[in-house]
Amino acid sequence: MWKPIWTIARREMSATFDSPIAYIAATVFLVVTGLLFFFGVGGADDWFVAREATLRPLFEYAPWVLAVIVPAVTMRLIAEEKKSGTLELLVTLPVTDLQIVLGKLLGGMGFLAVALALTLVFPALVMALGRPDVGAMVGGYVGLVLIGTTFLALGLMTSTWTHNQIVAFILGLLLCVFFWTATDALVKVAFTDPPAALQLLSFQTQFASFARGVIDLRNVLYFLSIISVAVVASTYSLQSRHWK
Amino acid sequence: MTAQSVIQVRDLVKRYDTKTALAGVSFDVNAGEILGLLGPNGAGKSTSMKILTTYLSATSGQIKVDGIDLAQDPVKVRAMLGYLPESTPLYTDMVVRDYLVYVGEMRGFDKATCAKRLAEVAATVGISDVLGMVIGTLSKGYRQRVGLAQAMLHNPKILILDEPTSGLDPNQIVEIRNLIRDLGKNHTVILSSHNLAEVRQICDRIVIIHRGKVVADGTLDELEGRVAHTHHLVVSLASTATAEAVTKGLGGLPQVKTVTVSHTAAHPVAHTTYEVEADADVRTQIATWAQQQGHTLVELRRKSADLESIFQSLTLEA
Repeated sequence: MWKPIWTIARREMSATFDSPIAYIAATVFLVVTGLLFFFGVGGADDWFVAREATLRPLFEYAPWVLAVIVPAVTMRLIAEEKKSGTLELLVTLPVTDLQIVLGKLLGGMGFLAVALALTLVFPALVMALGRPDVGAMVGGYVGLVLIGTTFLALGLMTSTWTHNQIVAFILGLLLCVFFWTATDALVKVAFTDPPAALQLLSFQTQFASFARGVIDLRNVLYFLSIISVAVVASTYSLQSRHWK
Repeated sequence: MTAQSVIQVRDLVKRYDTKTALAGVSFDVNAGEILGLLGPNGAGKSTSMKILTTYLSATSGQIKVDGIDLAQDPVKVRAMLGYLPESTPLYTDMVVRDYLVYVGEMRGFDKATCAKRLAEVAATVGISDVLGMVIGTLSKGYRQRVGLAQAMLHNPKILILDEPTSGLDPNQIVEIRNLIRDLGKNHTVILSSHNLAEVRQICDRIVIIHRGKVVADGTLDELEGRVAHTHHLVVSLASTATAEAVTKGLGGLPQVKTVTVSHTAAHPVAHTTYEVEADADVRTQIATWAQQQGHTLVELRRKSADLESIFQSLTLEA
């Protein structure tokens, strides 16, 4: 079960880092999160002004940046194979479509791991300068891994829908930004005093407790369910060749 | 049908939205033979192969590979097959060796087995000297060999090759054909082609598909026997006699129906070429006659149009 998944994941990782897009995406991620971390979007957010030993600005802005760069990395996962025809060889190897999807997702997580590892300079800096809440930092990173993987799964899903990488990117970007902001914004537009059940749907609400250092199983399960739905949808999308 | 058939295809139907790609295709593939799927473009050859390799599913019908129902256990069937799709899709940014190791691992090989098979297969298809190169930089002929290498890496019972020589230059075509013929000694091979000469050279048996149906199925001899009532012969003679006299002489031979002058040439040997239609293969009679008449025989052959004429008669009118 796991061996082909791991084989596909390894190939995806080396393919990702063979192409310039991974380096561009990782650089953009580091630079933009860095700028936002240090200077924020307004004066009050300025890290140098606030003089607070916290990673809060990082956890506030990193999901935005991930929502943009993750689809740029996932767009090729299936769409490229569809376009070049290699998908035909891949799916006729003795593996299931689910194994292919999981392998691709795991490969994408390799990129996510590298991108997030680059941001470890921020906690290092904060630790050197002050006494931050380590629990909040760990929680925040767990949250970033979960939200990043959710974006990966959504991007992977849009990549199975088309053989055009640009289309996959735009659809992935829309979905990620939608899930990150609109669940929140829509809830607030629809209700002045949103019911608790609806607030639970929001990515931002779900993510917020991680940034406070609370790793709540319910929040984890929330992201895992979205990832599972996207994985199942991707698998069905791959299988749709049989009944089209 | 026979006990040794490894693939049984029964009443295969494939409908896309509005188009029927396969309208009830049935054939058998015997162990160890090279079967040619022949047909004009769009006849359903590729669709048949995509279904055989479990890439697509049939709308209805049944396929058994080595006794296993393809619909029941596709993953097990995939393990028995090696597949080279049309136009040889490969990861062009990968190094040949890395790519083949990847395929080996996907096939469940451990490192040692993988390295051993890789070396064997690379030697068989002649890519040992390009293992360190990036696939995208290889010539079309070498890519085709890499495609064959990935298909046969796990020493599969059955090789399915979709138009394996299309897009190659004449030298590469000869090389790949020889390679496939060698592979046919140890594997069951199904290849598709719209090239009659290729099928004639490589295949033991031919299934002709046209508009989603099998219109002929048999060995080359059997198929040619179907139109054997007319034999087309080409005779080239160097002679002092006039073309009219020779035409008359040839026409006087038993069982010869028509004789036409096709062309005359001065170089490199001055000769006149005649096309003869006869009810039997009268090549020996023509040779004897030419010798008796004092004509010098430059060329005497059966026109290789016999399979072409079967193909045309089956696919044009049907």
